[in-house]
Amino acid sequence: MKLVGIVGSNAELSYNRKLLTYIKKHFGNLFELEVLEIKDIPLFNQSDDQTNSAPIQKLSNKILQADGVIIATPEHNHTIPAALKSVLEWLSFKIHPLENKPVMIVGASYYDQGSSRAQLHLRQILDAPGVNAMVMPGNEFLLGKVKEAFDEKGELKEKRTVDFLQTTLEKFIQFINVVTVVQGAPVAEPEDLFATGTVDTTVEGVDMYADDWLEQASEIVQPAEGSEYVKLNRGLLTVDQLNYFLSSMPMELTYADNNNQFLYYNYTKEAEDMLASRTPGQVGNPLAKCHPERVYKGVEWVIQQLRSGAQDCVKVHVPTHGPDKYVVHNYQAIHDDEGNYVGINEYIWDLKPTIDWYLQQTGQKLVGDVDAATSATVNDHQDGDVDAVSGASENA
Amino acid sequence: MVKLIGLVGTNSEHSTNRQLLHFMQKHFADKAEIEIVEIKDIPIFNKPAEIQVPETVQQLADKIEAADGVIISTPEYDHAVPASLMNALSWLSYGIYPFVDKPVMITGASYGTLGSSRAQMHLRQILDAPELKARIMPSSEFLLSHSLQAFDDENKLKNPEQIEQLEGLFTDFLVFVEIMKQLTHAHEMNKKAAENFSWEEV
Repeated sequence: MKLVGIVGSNAELSYNRKLLTYIKKHFGNLFELEVLEIKDIPLFNQSDDQTNSAPIQKLSNKILQADGVIIATPEHNHTIPAALKSVLEWLSFKIHPLENKPVMIVGASYYDQGSSRAQLHLRQILDAPGVNAMVMPGNEFLLGKVKEAFDEKGELKEKRTVDFLQTTLEKFIQFINVVTVVQGAPVAEPEDLFATGTVDTTVEGVDMYADDWLEQASEIVQPAEGSEYVKLNRGLLTVDQLNYFLSSMPMELTYADNNNQFLYYNYTKEAEDMLASRTPGQVGNPLAKCHPERVYKGVEWVIQQLRSGAQDCVKVHVPTHGPDKYVVHNYQAIHDDEGNYVGINEYIWDLKPTIDWYLQQTGQKLVGDVDAATSATVNDHQDGDVDAVSGASENA
Repeated sequence: MVKLIGLVGTNSEHSTNRQLLHFMQKHFADKAEIEIVEIKDIPIFNKPAEIQVPETVQQLADKIEAADGVIISTPEYDHAVPASLMNALSWLSYGIYPFVDKPVMITGASYGTLGSSRAQMHLRQILDAPELKARIMPSSEFLLSHSLQAFDDENKLKNPEQIEQLEGLFTDFLVFVEIMKQLTHAHEMNKKAAENFSWEEV
């Protein structure tokens, strides 16, 4: 389960940040927690819409992709900090990532209160129509006298506190599951596998199905080629160098954009020698053209997982290459700097050589292998032969 | 003449709360001098380690300090006070305490039917916090609902009943300001308490 924790303060020193860091560290068995900051988010102003700015988009996307949110709030003047309120105003102005999202509130304060009044306000705010979060009822976690609560290593000192925190977090997981059932499975938008739409980068005016799509599209956009330089996010390469670099990757790479158009693969082999065949003429095709109709449903599901953020990477083992290979198709979501989905990086590789090398280097064996030294049958077979009737050896 | 500050509770360009304060400024010109102040240029509060407020906040604090009372007009965002107003109040209680024992009248306007009622309740609670400790006029509410339709071309409230209600409340506020002047016995102590108050040390 993937959760995000929002630090409800923009101050340099925050015990609420400490609390979330503690939760992240100690409850990894319950969920994966990513702690997010609100420091870079500007003060809300409805006359100066910054919804599309990188920090707000990033926060919004992280929330959308999470199963639940934990907000840790301090208390300023009997209410939540202005910085946190500002964030919630941005997240309820033009975008609504918290809508129907399970939220748990925690808080820490210097005095006994543990931010109790701020937490009540936060509940009311999260209940407002533009926010519409699903706040877990009951189970307040108020960490009072916070200066004494942690030791130098950032560990909570009181076992009672830790136990109670654990109980509330476990209940939150149950709450998320219940909310998910109540809401039913999210209905994903259907995928346009025929790429009939366009996105910013779509090259229009070329037949997507043409074998020479690349040549025709190049005529239109006049791309950099050969020894021309391309400036990358941290580096400078010529197009040739970029091609050599990608060709040397020990895997088959494919890029399909967020319009479901197949744009690129690192062409080094002919189709019949590839783990998953690709032909030069396929470049430019919509994804529907690259797959048989019977797998459209599966393709659509994978893209929906990536586009919605439900999974960042879908891995599929394709067992059609015999026992000597372990071929995995990895479909990795590609995001731009703002966290928007911009396509799929499909990398296909054979895991077997890497695993064999690892086992050889470390002297380890897989559990599935029979290890004479640990086998119950070892005494009957002084030569260390594999016992053909023991279950373990059947897989070897 | 009584000197009041009208604090616009939003940083938005267009605000019917600003409009309401301008109406009050004009309408009550013979009873009080109302100076309208803005919170637009106040930077985001981040609890800096060095307790010093920006120049614009200090100027605002000086004005409040010098005034007989403050009228705050608040919109409602997500059932609460806008972040920009909370932000201003955070700065105005960070090492400076202009609101301590200051008479405050709360008004509010909203596009819908509720007239920022929930934000006004929150604002009361906020102004009651140890480092603000304002004297909020009790048992009085002015909720201007459907505020986009409430004013005429000359920025006057259209509904005479609303004007009458506002006049009543405003007159009460002026009396409240006068009465509050008698509650001075604890002022020095309150001021000290706010100055010495620290969430770090309670």
